[in-house]
Amino acid sequence: MSEPLVVIDALARSFAGVPAVREVSFTVGAGEIHAVCGHNGAGKSTVVKMLSGQLAPDAGRILLAGEPVLLGSRQAAQRLGVALVDQELSVVPALTVLENLMLGDIDAPLVKRRRAAVARCREVLGDLGLDHVRPDQLVSTLSMGERQLIEIAKALSQRARVVILDEPTATLSEAESRRVHAAVRRVAARGCAVVFVSHRLAEVLDLCDTVTVLRDGRRITTRPAAELTVDRLIVEMLGEAPHRLSANRRPDPDLTHALRISRLRVPGRLTDFTLTARAGRIYALAGQLGSGASDVLRALAGLHPGATGRVSLRDRAVPFRSPVGAARAGIAYVSNDRKGEGLFLDKSVAMNLVGTRLNRLGGKALVPAARPLAARAGLDEVRLAEPVLALSGGNQQKVFVGRALDRPDVHALLLDEPTRGVDIGGRAAIHRLLRDAADAGLVVVFASTELEELLELGDVILTMRDGRVVETYQGGADGTVLMRDMTGEKA
Amino acid sequence: MTVRRGPVALAVLLLILLPLAVSTDRFLTLANARAILASAALVGITAIGATLVMIAGSAVSMAASQTATLVAMVFLWTLSHGLLVATLLGLLTGVVVTVVQGLVVGYWEANPIVLTIAAGFAIGGGSVWFSGGTPVAAAGGGYQVLNATVLGLPLAVYVLLALAVLAQWMLRRTTAGRQMYLVGENRAAARAAGLPVGRVIAVAWAFSGLCLALTGVFLAAFNTSATTNLAGPLTLDAIAAVLLGGTAIAGGKGSALRTLGGAVLIAVIADVLLLRGYSTGIQILVKGVLVLGVVVLVHLRRRR
Amino acid sequence: MRPERLVPGAALLLVVIVFALTPLGTGVPLASFDVYNALQGFAQIGLLALAIGLTMIAGEFDLSVVGTYAVGGMITVLTGQSSALLGLLIAVAAGALIGALQGGLIAWLRIPSVPVTLAAYIALLGLAYALSGGLSVTFKNQAATLWVDQTVAGVFSPRSLITLAAFAVAAVVLGFTRLGAELRAIGGDRRAGRVAGVPVERRLVLLFTMSGTLAALGGALLSVSFASANPDPGLRPLLIAAVAALLGGVSLAGGRGTPAGLLAGALAVALLAQIVTLAYLPDYSTQLFYAALLAVVVAIDSPGLRRTLDRLRARTRRAAA
Repeated sequence: MSEPLVVIDALARSFAGVPAVREVSFTVGAGEIHAVCGHNGAGKSTVVKMLSGQLAPDAGRILLAGEPVLLGSRQAAQRLGVALVDQELSVVPALTVLENLMLGDIDAPLVKRRRAAVARCREVLGDLGLDHVRPDQLVSTLSMGERQLIEIAKALSQRARVVILDEPTATLSEAESRRVHAAVRRVAARGCAVVFVSHRLAEVLDLCDTVTVLRDGRRITTRPAAELTVDRLIVEMLGEAPHRLSANRRPDPDLTHALRISRLRVPGRLTDFTLTARAGRIYALAGQLGSGASDVLRALAGLHPGATGRVSLRDRAVPFRSPVGAARAGIAYVSNDRKGEGLFLDKSVAMNLVGTRLNRLGGKALVPAARPLAARAGLDEVRLAEPVLALSGGNQQKVFVGRALDRPDVHALLLDEPTRGVDIGGRAAIHRLLRDAADAGLVVVFASTELEELLELGDVILTMRDGRVVETYQGGADGTVLMRDMTGEKA
Repeated sequence: MTVRRGPVALAVLLLILLPLAVSTDRFLTLANARAILASAALVGITAIGATLVMIAGSAVSMAASQTATLVAMVFLWTLSHGLLVATLLGLLTGVVVTVVQGLVVGYWEANPIVLTIAAGFAIGGGSVWFSGGTPVAAAGGGYQVLNATVLGLPLAVYVLLALAVLAQWMLRRTTAGRQMYLVGENRAAARAAGLPVGRVIAVAWAFSGLCLALTGVFLAAFNTSATTNLAGPLTLDAIAAVLLGGTAIAGGKGSALRTLGGAVLIAVIADVLLLRGYSTGIQILVKGVLVLGVVVLVHLRRRR
Repeated sequence: MRPERLVPGAALLLVVIVFALTPLGTGVPLASFDVYNALQGFAQIGLLALAIGLTMIAGEFDLSVVGTYAVGGMITVLTGQSSALLGLLIAVAAGALIGALQGGLIAWLRIPSVPVTLAAYIALLGLAYALSGGLSVTFKNQAATLWVDQTVAGVFSPRSLITLAAFAVAAVVLGFTRLGAELRAIGGDRRAGRVAGVPVERRLVLLFTMSGTLAALGGALLSVSFASANPDPGLRPLLIAAVAALLGGVSLAGGRGTPAGLLAGALAVALLAQIVTLAYLPDYSTQLFYAALLAVVVAIDSPGLRRTLDRLRARTRRAAA
């Protein structure tokens, strides 16, 4: 390797004055698989976005084959040979494999030359070990792993020199992940520079040549993977790992108020989840994307109609295959998708706070009814008539959580990433609200990927990976251990 | 912050309309005002029901004319059993026929527009079958009372006003009404929150069916017999009134009182154009262009 | 087999078999004239089905096609009294303009297609009324009327051949350029399509221009053939076109369908109408049949039904375990 294909030189970017990436530099050579690792908020996704043209850096340069380049957009980056493969796939399920490979390819002639295209498609598929996939097969008939591979094939067929993979295996099964790994190795062997982002650390060490670790927006180290172990990597990622010595709470002896979950199963996502969650305690599900932690909550809230198992709350069976049934049984759910599946953004703060308990309101006006809740959730009552859209992320989340509070018909509170996109002050306030709710006799279960949050709030912590529980921690717990459970080798 | 473009646009419209109207011969007469209200009544009643459907997020029903016609036929045909029985049967027909569509839209999330196009033709075909293709005449008397005028205005106008107030009260003060706004604005969020999405939508459709049935009963009483195209362009007129009232077709926003305003506005414009000697075609054209303008405006405001 | 091939293939095959068997019911053998009539029926709705079908492939729904259909017919009659071709060209140009304007609003302002095309439908209906004074207008160019419906090769007419040609052009354009894949990408997964580099906005404008053009051409041919233009054809043509499109393997959710499938769907619907005529069935029975068919397809296409089935399956699985 004479000259590195990609040089990232002192890239920096801040959001609203808060730096997300500070002077990060590293290089990737042709044929090299370079991992970028870091915990939440380390700046991985910001680096990926800058490298793939979706975000302009505030400072610093990107050099391709020695030339400084300006990647104005994802399409522009593509033209320069930088392809991104991420969770938001750009393959269209309604099209065939061949059509997907040609879609948006600016080099492809408007009038298709079918035979040449098919031959080229076969070649690319063969390169990735997809010989069994026919060019005229619909992508919707392929598995998620195969779609991921088609995405890589697309990058190759468009003659990418640099391929960035952002969590390509997060939601894939082990067998599927292996095929992606094999494909990535082939891509590198063809002389591409590969940037690989993953929270699966064993995978990273197995697959990649070099690892760059980011923490708080800074590059901590860049080293050959051979010099690292999973534990060593975790230490680099976390720095001083948060830990605690003992559990926060004593369990409420009253088991009749418990949420009992027995062998909850969501096909393809969650396998035999069993938990008895007692009232008065906070249960934390620690798991990355694809671990099944979110799916536990979604299934309990009635949003996985195909889920099976047995669930009861306060000794009454929960009809958990419909959201109405779950709500009636006393389950309140706070989704991780605040905009799409949470708040009614155009509606007033008051309406959002009382929107799920309108039947208790009778004909009363909304704002007065919402006033005590606003006070409880720490919201300024002057803003009750404003649309939620006008609030900050933290205040929006307070509305979302506040909606489930002080309801005699709610016995269990489920929250998915309760403080995502929330500033530090708002975070503390929301944590207090959850603790108060537990003290008031509710069962509280939340899913999170943030170690501080898990350790601070969870009385019982369950680490999850690949749709199963790895370990349950009742007393003391250590961030490094949790991290290893969440990111380590496949079970 | 939010610029209230709606009222601004309304003011501009009135500024254009007012001089035109006032300078039109015979516009500013009591008789003309009565005529405007009377012509707004039937479209208005249907439009009030359609407002709830649109707010709850099911866009529009394309089956209004056919439903009203079917109700009119049932009403006239059963008049032999007395006015009360005929009215009740008519209302029941309208509610049942409409609520079935509402259930499919509400619980299964079927595409309401295509579904109601199909339903419209099914109901239309059904009424041809029912009537044998010939006009259905009143099988009894007593319906004249529905054509009575009180203080110079037909009974239907009072029914329209009462329905508008009732609908507005429902939307603002009752659980089901308030939930319609939530379901209409973000169905996925309403579902995740455990709101009874299907039921809320079905209630909106049931109310719409009731309004359609009332329209049908008044149409029958006024025409004393019903042919298959009795209701004419009711479907499109009602949709135009709702959209002109500023209700968002995607749901979550709107008001019954503003729909009432939309219905009256349409009647005023039609009246002015008529008095000035423009053809029906121009009237419909103006209506269509106005609706298009309001749709664009409502959308632009919503997007920001 | 994929639904976009299976559905239209099966529908067409079934209808052809029934059509071939109609003599068993009526006792009168089929004549080439019956096929000619069926193809005339196809010409009447084919272009409309193609127009609405193409918008449905891209996940949109153009309600205004019936309005453009009416206006196209009216313009042809009004401007084509001396030269039918001139009238037809003016009508088609007007249709393209109407479509382009709507496409512009939908693409650049990102307004959903339903309210735009609904309002446009009302306005176009008014325009057709205004142009005609609310009455049917007679087309006096008898030579053109006779020419467009003359029999060619026993079963065709210039009108049905033009309609078939439009399908052929659509099939070639969508099949041999990347436009076809792009339209399905826009309908199937707009976000992914955009990320993959499909110029979504420009394609939408093009799409609505196409649907306006096709609808106007359909209306123009119809009014030349009928020697008159009707300002308000009602929603019936839309219903039949929608049935044809759905039988043609198009999904309401978008992303699925081909011109060949649409052709099969339109032919199936036309043959069905001819069967009804031959069998002397009352008119409302076809109406009921189409309506029921459309309602069933819509219900099957709905996401809530799938959820309900998931739930039932989970419940039975638990019972089995």
